[in-house]
Amino acid sequence: MGVVCVFPYIIPEGKSGLQVVDCLQKQVELLGAVKAGTFCVDCETYQSNFSNTTTPQRLVHILHNSEQPATCFAIVDTGNCLVADSQFDILMQRLKGFYQQRKGFKIESKGQRYEYGDFLIKIGSVLLASSFKGILLEVEYYPCAYLGDCWNLMKELIQSVMGNVLETPPAFLKQKFNSEYGPSDTIQQYLEHFNGFRKAASANQAR
Amino acid sequence: MEGSVSIHRHTAAPFHEYLLQGSVVDNSCDVLLNRLRGLCDNAENDYESFHDHELVFALRSSTAQNNHNQQVYFRVRHSLKAPNAPWHLRYVGQAEVGDKTRHTLVRTYVDVSTSDNVVTFLNEMGFRLDYEYVIKGYFFHKGRMKVTVSKIFRMLQPNNVENLEPLSLSYLVELTVVAPAGQELIQDDMKNFAEQLKPLVQLEKIDHRRITMM
Repeated sequence: MGVVCVFPYIIPEGKSGLQVVDCLQKQVELLGAVKAGTFCVDCETYQSNFSNTTTPQRLVHILHNSEQPATCFAIVDTGNCLVADSQFDILMQRLKGFYQQRKGFKIESKGQRYEYGDFLIKIGSVLLASSFKGILLEVEYYPCAYLGDCWNLMKELIQSVMGNVLETPPAFLKQKFNSEYGPSDTIQQYLEHFNGFRKAASANQAR
Repeated sequence: MEGSVSIHRHTAAPFHEYLLQGSVVDNSCDVLLNRLRGLCDNAENDYESFHDHELVFALRSSTAQNNHNQQVYFRVRHSLKAPNAPWHLRYVGQAEVGDKTRHTLVRTYVDVSTSDNVVTFLNEMGFRLDYEYVIKGYFFHKGRMKVTVSKIFRMLQPNNVENLEPLSLSYLVELTVVAPAGQELIQDDMKNFAEQLKPLVQLEKIDHRRITMM
């Protein structure tokens, strides 16, 4: 795989999410990108419900990415990311007495996948417990493993399609500029955005 | 690629492991290895060996209101011969002995390859190391049956896989098949294969609960 940048697309006022997704898809198609199937990144969150003296309450996020269909990513809220076979889901079921799934917390980003030369562009609608929350875009540049070497190229493509976004790279990517990029880095970007969407949703509810 | 989104196997059921166990004293091990080499697949090749470090982690909780102690064990295994190989995280259920119509032990079995940060991951989840050991041995395949002949070593210092002491003067012999639930017929094949290894080794279904009570 190459390097990936995931970022939210702000929906302008007065437009619906569906309209904006349609509009973005048209723009990408106009550019000459070719449809290449669909994609999905999903995340479920488990919360610890046991008490022992040494472990504070923990959250474990379980994520899947259709780009790595046989893999399951598990991230503890300390930031440690375990990359495992997809059967890791079964292991989580074995921990039912200790970790319980948070209800109404399932969040996913899914949509159309486009190939454009050496780039892969994904336009995802974010659904939290099946209700639409926003748009996440993912741009991947295949031929490179270090973000620092190709950031300007990616930025140029992103800005040519989506306008003046991402003047500076997201904070998470900045610290990864000079290290080799891997699939768990993509997942961590998604998790960061998913957590943002969840926070916004619960803040809206509280209002 | 169309429809690839549904590839995730969220609902996959756990596998079952069918198991027979026995042991052989060190002196007779070579004879058994030769017999196995003849009986198993790839007889023309030298038998394959392994050298692993296994760490058993426990997650415990003591809920005061009902004084009920719950625990789950996860086993982490990694090869000391091939440090770049993936680590393994395994869950092994309580072995069921069943009645006489059942020829082998049956237990739930989940084996997942993971990245090498699995030990810190488990610690952060609240697991604590229960015990660890080093296991060295040989493995054979016969169809989907797997035979391992292995020696278990006690580690004299925690986390030091060099300073070892053999646990006993014998080798543990295990005949296993991992299969989806409901494939009971495989037990007949295993029984027949175990018959062919007699009298070099007696492979039996050993009641683990009885051992822990002793």
